[in-house]
Order: sequence, then structure tokens, then C-alpha cells
Amino acid sequence: MKIGLEIHVELNSKSKIFCSCATQGSNVPNTRTCEICLGMPGSKPSFNREVLHKALKVALALGCKINKESFFSRKNYFYPDMTKNFQITQYELPLAENGKFEGINIRRIHMEEDPGALIHFGSITLIDYNRSGMPLIEIVTEPDFKTPKEARTFLNKLITLLEYLNVYVREEETTLKADANISLEGGERVEIKNVTGLREIERCLEYEAKRQEIELATFKETRGWDAEKGVTYSLRKKESENDYGYLTECDLPMLELSDTLLNEIKKEIPELPNQKIKNFIDKYKLNKDDAEVIASDLKLAELFEQISHKIDAKIAANYLRRDLLGQLEYNKLQVKDLKIGEHGVKDIGVMLNLYQKNKINNNILKTLTIRLIKEGKIGEIKEQVSDDSQLKKWCKEAIENNKSVVEDYKKGNENSLNFLVGYVMKLSNKSANPQKVREILKEMI
Amino acid sequence: MNVNEYLSKGKNEVKEIIKEAREINKKYNYFNYIDEDATGGKGKLSNLPVSVKDCICVKDMESRAGSLILKGYKPVFDATVISRLRKEGVAIIGKTSQDEFGFGSFSTNTDNIPKNPIDVERSTGGSSGGSGGFTAITKYTHVSIAESTGGSIACPAGFCGVAGFTPTYGVVSRYGLIDYANSLDKIGVMAKKVNEIKPVFDIIRGYDEKDSTSLKLDLNKDEKIKKIGVIKETLNVDEKIKDAVLSKLKDYEEVSLPLVEKYGVTAYYIIALSEASTNLAKYSGLRYGESLDLKGNYNEYFSDVRSKFFSTESKRRIILGTFARMAGYRDAYYLKAMKVRNLIIQEYKKAFKKYDVLISPTMPIIAPKFSEISKLTPLENYMMDIMTVGPNLAGLPHLSVNAGFIGKMPVGLMVIGNHLDDNKVLKFGEKIE
Repeated sequence: MKIGLEIHVELNSKSKIFCSCATQGSNVPNTRTCEICLGMPGSKPSFNREVLHKALKVALALGCKINKESFFSRKNYFYPDMTKNFQITQYELPLAENGKFEGINIRRIHMEEDPGALIHFGSITLIDYNRSGMPLIEIVTEPDFKTPKEARTFLNKLITLLEYLNVYVREEETTLKADANISLEGGERVEIKNVTGLREIERCLEYEAKRQEIELATFKETRGWDAEKGVTYSLRKKESENDYGYLTECDLPMLELSDTLLNEIKKEIPELPNQKIKNFIDKYKLNKDDAEVIASDLKLAELFEQISHKIDAKIAANYLRRDLLGQLEYNKLQVKDLKIGEHGVKDIGVMLNLYQKNKINNNILKTLTIRLIKEGKIGEIKEQVSDDSQLKKWCKEAIENNKSVVEDYKKGNENSLNFLVGYVMKLSNKSANPQKVREILKEMI
Repeated sequence: MNVNEYLSKGKNEVKEIIKEAREINKKYNYFNYIDEDATGGKGKLSNLPVSVKDCICVKDMESRAGSLILKGYKPVFDATVISRLRKEGVAIIGKTSQDEFGFGSFSTNTDNIPKNPIDVERSTGGSSGGSGGFTAITKYTHVSIAESTGGSIACPAGFCGVAGFTPTYGVVSRYGLIDYANSLDKIGVMAKKVNEIKPVFDIIRGYDEKDSTSLKLDLNKDEKIKKIGVIKETLNVDEKIKDAVLSKLKDYEEVSLPLVEKYGVTAYYIIALSEASTNLAKYSGLRYGESLDLKGNYNEYFSDVRSKFFSTESKRRIILGTFARMAGYRDAYYLKAMKVRNLIIQEYKKAFKKYDVLISPTMPIIAPKFSEISKLTPLENYMMDIMTVGPNLAGLPHLSVNAGFIGKMPVGLMVIGNHLDDNKVLKFGEKIE
């Protein structure tokens, strides 16, 4: 099985690719538009250098050869979401070619504009041009994937890389689209157009692989993906490539890239995920699993690095993976929702120090973590009660109020002791040191 | 009154010229739209009446490039040339008639056909026919902002007996110009006399960040003329035209530009129509201009709108241009034409090493009668541009000035200069005028 991807990535530049309309802001339809992204007669595109900058970062990080000269072309076809009935894209000479990432060969990377969005209401279709002119790069891989799973893993790593480069925001899954092609040994190549989201890309490839196993593809075909039904369906058989009558976009001059610019951009490329993982293992002595999980998110990785200045790296990693990520998931939040400032980082250090010295228990840790997620800092930390006389008071009360349980324990039921410890914890409003409580209870009984 | 005198005297004849335009328009069809309320203001061009070719966007003023498909389209923005002119106090009096999207040499490919001011049986030339005709006929001080892709300023200037200047490609911003062929389109100026062009040209020229092809370079300062070359191949015309042109020159040498003669028209039409066919794709009745009742799928609807509202000439050019772009033909046509274009530029560059300006007749004929035009085949029509396509393909500044008359009908002389020698061309034009 051979699988290749054409991945469309929306770059997070401030303005659109050929005009100064904002890429973020109001989602009221057709409010972030101007004469240029609406393709009004007489308007002309101006290329946004920030898009070039970001696209080059990706190309360099993916180890591509950069074309010092490239240009834009018009891809001509009629469709209602197109403002000009041609899309400005790169065709003959893309920005970059021949890269490699995670063992997969990258054929080319080019820049282009997104069309508007069609919104269907029953029999009526409306057009929202807010998306028109949004900056995209298309990353085309060679058909190097051997399974749908591999393709998904690759996409996940690619997204992490894009986030490290600060060129892409993982908002909803919908911002990543791909065309996937798949062929089985001895069969023809089938392309599945416009699949949205990592999960869907894997699903559609799995479906298509099974479909072709049953009936080998005997002709080249373009298919669509029905996510609801979970099936692909034929769009057209293609004898040859679609003829888009490509023409040079004469409103935009040739893109000429200087070595100075490329060197500048190279310097901006931060430590990338794989390097981070290696560092976490070599320098911070994390195990591979922890290192990979923490490096999979730039924000988390940076938080880890900051905390590790203040506390043992393994404790930090353990806290982030188990407690912080756990609480985030429980509250249906993501790492990007965290707003932890300098204070917060300091607080985490203090908290973990206390935890390490057994001055706060798991319950307190949990409460504090929730506060951290909500407020971005922890503030005052109330240590757990380890004072014997106070603990003895609570234990005495527990024993007196649960005589039958105490009897059970005496008969050898170990669980009864757990119940009593829990009772004390409740009495203490979760502030008691549970190990000590256990010891005292044993002693007293 | 000459523009320079009008400005120095601080005149204001905006109301009068609008009244005149309205009257003249009944007979001559020079305007697709007249702004009855146009007023000027203060600036370097205080109260100067300016007419604008229909294909240049003027905010809130119907701008339809001579096409029915854009009927009712009022741009939400001013073209850069318009905003620069407004800042200097001009009054935009209206939009002049033209061949649809600039597709023609006689301004007959449109619903509002301008007539030659000297003989209404004849054409003004095109595609900036309304600009040429009104510039010639008005009694008042006025300039017109016109546009040339393959000769659309020089041709009507020649046929109407006025001065028509097309600058170096990129010297005047195209932002707000409704595209014909982006790599060829140039906005320029028409006036009765050559020396009226510069004050307006100086305002509209210069780098514009909204047009990525506009130049940051300054114009060349050297305006001295030492050597004049007359393009040999262009003298192969009616003796009277040749005589009129040569009578204006004292010392000159003949220079041969065989590539321009042989391949100019072909290369020009392949490039221009390829670009035009993509530029016109946006006119599909969806968001502006004419529309129809929604029926069928989007393909059927787009086809219906385009079939109904494009003229025959536009359809011909879309089909030819699309054909030349198709996968199997691109190398044979469009890409080859681009190579020829480069060779033509080299041929001119070589000539400019020796000569300061190159001279030819503007057109191979005098303004033809409408009855003669209707008999021309499309190919004969395209061959009318043989003199003008060269400098347009090469992006060279060129000027048509009146060189005399055959009977009552004017003969144009064309001055061609090297890139950025715009001022030299204007200076020389003044001298021979």
C-alpha cells in the first residue's frame, strides 16, 4: 500500500495573503473582506511578506531546497466560492522542493490563497468571503506512507512542528485539510479530495484501503469522503490531470529570495520537537515516553523547562503528565488554554517542593492544580496537618464514631482501616497527612 | 485654453464643460457616464476638468469598461490615478466610451460607439475612442485619462488628431484599472497638445504599493535628442501617411526592426488574449454587474450570464486566449510568445543604444469609415495594430502627435523612447508639434 498526502495548512499571519484584511476577528460573514479578497474589478493583489516568512520557516524546517526564484500562477476554474474564478497559487516553480520529515519525502511546498466558504441551508447556498484570501501552504508528500496510521502519526508530528515554528494555530481540527492518495500493489492510484481533520484522514484511508482490497482499482479516480456515512464515493474518473490553463500571475512580480533573508529565517527556527525530545532524555534524564508527551506541545515543553530550573526534572515531568494534563482533560481544556505567567511557574516550583517534602498531600495538590488552571497562579499554599496532637484528636473522634468498623479491623479486615483514614480526612477538610493518620490509627486501635 | 495657462490663471470651467459634454454626447457618444455634479478643488491641478476611460475605477461612478456585463457596477474605491488627481483638485467629469474591456482598434465593439469628431461616418479609433474624440472636440481646457494595452491611446489620438501618451510600463499605477492584460496594460494621458500632458502625468506617475508591478525607479533626466531613427518597416504604408510623418523630421536615419514587424502582432495577441481570458473569468453575474434569474446549476448560470452579456469580440478573445493556455498548447503558444516578447525587447534595446527616439506612423491608415470596418475580418482588424503593438509589448513609452492631415483627416506620428525616457519622448513630441 502506498499513501501520499497533499496537506493544506492555514498560516497564522496577521493579515491575508494578498490584502490587509485580518485573518482573525469577527466571524460575522463577509466582514473581514475588501475589494482585493472579493476580487472586485480593478483591484490587484499585493503579496504579504509575513506569509513568505512563515512559509519559508516551514520549508527550511522540513529540510527543503528553497527555490531562490519562484512565482505565482493563476489556476483557472469556475466555482461559486471563487471570487475571481481563478486561484492564485504556485505551479511551475514552487517556493520549495525535495524535503524530508520523519522519514517521509516532501515533494514540494507552495503558497496559495484560500477561496471563500460555501454555507448550505437546505436548498439555499450562501457564500462567506471571510475565508477568501486566507494564507495557505500546501505540503505535498511522496507516496511514502505504508499505512493510514502512519499518515496520521506523521500529521500529528507535522502539526507539532508547525506550532513550534509559530506558523500555525491548532484551533479546531477543521483548519487542517488534506487530499490523500492511495494505491494498492498492482492497482491504480485513487485520490480522495478535501478531507478535514486528522481522524477523518485516517478513517477515509482505512475505508479506501479496505475497499480496494476487495476490488482493486483498475483506473485512476478522484473520490470524495462522506464523513457521516464513513464512505468514499466517486467524483470523477480521470484519464489525465484536470486542465486548469495555468497562467503566470502578472500582477505579482517574480519572488526573488536573498541569502540574507534565508539566513535570517534560519536563525529564527527554534529548537524543534525531535531535538527537544533528545534533550529531555539526555540532559533531563526523562524516559522516552515522558519526553515525547511533554515535547508534543511547545507550551508544555517550555513550561517543563521552566519548572525544571526549580525542581527535580522527573518530579516536574511526572506532575505535568499526571496531574496537570489529567486535570486539563477532566475539565475539557487544552494546554493552549493555560495562562501561566512567571508567578505561576514560581508557584508550581514551591508547590512541588512542598509535595516532595510531604508537606502537602495529593488532595491538596489537586485543589492547587485546579486553581492554577483557573487563575494561572496558585498563591497561598496551606500545608497539610502533621501535628500529632491535632491528628490524634481527629483519630479519636473517628474511632469513637465508628465502633463497628474498628471491630472489623480488629478481626483482620484491612479495608476498614482505609475507611477510618478517609473519615479522618473528611474531618480535617482534607488537610491531614494521610500516612501519619494511618500510623496513629493503628497505634490507637 | 492650454492646460498650463488655465492652471496659472486659476480658471474654473467645470460647469461649462459638463454642459458641453452633455450636448456633444447626444451626437458623438463620447461618454458612458457624465457626472452632472462634478466639482474640482484646490491643488496643483485646481478645477481641471478630467474625463476618464470607462475601464478605470472611479468610486461610486458606474465603471463598466464599455461592457454590458458590468452594467451598474459602481466601484467602492478610486483607482490610484484617480485618488492622486482628486488630491490635486481635478473635477472628474465622466467616463469615456471604449471598446468592451479595450478589445478593439475602432471602439466599435461596444454598445455606445463614439464617432470621429471630424467626420461622423468614421471611427475615433480605439479602444480609448471616447477619450480621443472628446479631447479633440471640446472647446474647453481638458485632459483625458486613457489606457493602452496594445495601442489604445496612440490609435485614437492619431485618428482624432490629438496628443496621446502611453508611459513606460510600471511608471503609472494600474491599481483600479479593470484588467485587459496585466503585463501589458498602461494608464496614460490624452490632451489637445503635448505640453498639456506633463502636468497631469507628473501627478499620476510614481510608485504605488498597491500595484506590485509599479516601479520604484525615477524617470531618466536626460532629455537631449541627438539621433533619430525611423523604423523602416513601418514606412511601408500609404505615401501620404509616410510623407506627413517624414515631413516633421529633419535629420534621421532608417532603422530596421524585423522581429517587431514579423512577430509583434502574433506575440501580442497570444499574450494579451491569454491574460484577458483569465481576467474575464470573474464576470459571472454573481456579485456585481448584470445578473439573471437563478436557474440551473452554477455552471449553467455562469454560462447564461456570460453568453448574454459579453459581446461577440469578447467571446472570441476568451476562446482564443483559453485555447492558448491549455495544457497541450501552452508551450507552443503562450510560452513561445513570451520568448518572442523578450527578443523584441532586445531588438528595441539594441536600437536605443544608437538612437534617442524611434519614429513611425501611429496607424497604417487614416480613421476608417464604419462601413469599411464592418467588412474587415477579425485578422485584418488585429493587423491594424501593427505599428503600436511593438512599443506596447516592450513596455516602452510612446506618444502619438499630429503630423498633418490627409484631406480633413489627421495623421499621427508616433515617438517611441527607451524605458523610463518618458520625459525625453514628451520633450521631442513638443518640438515636432
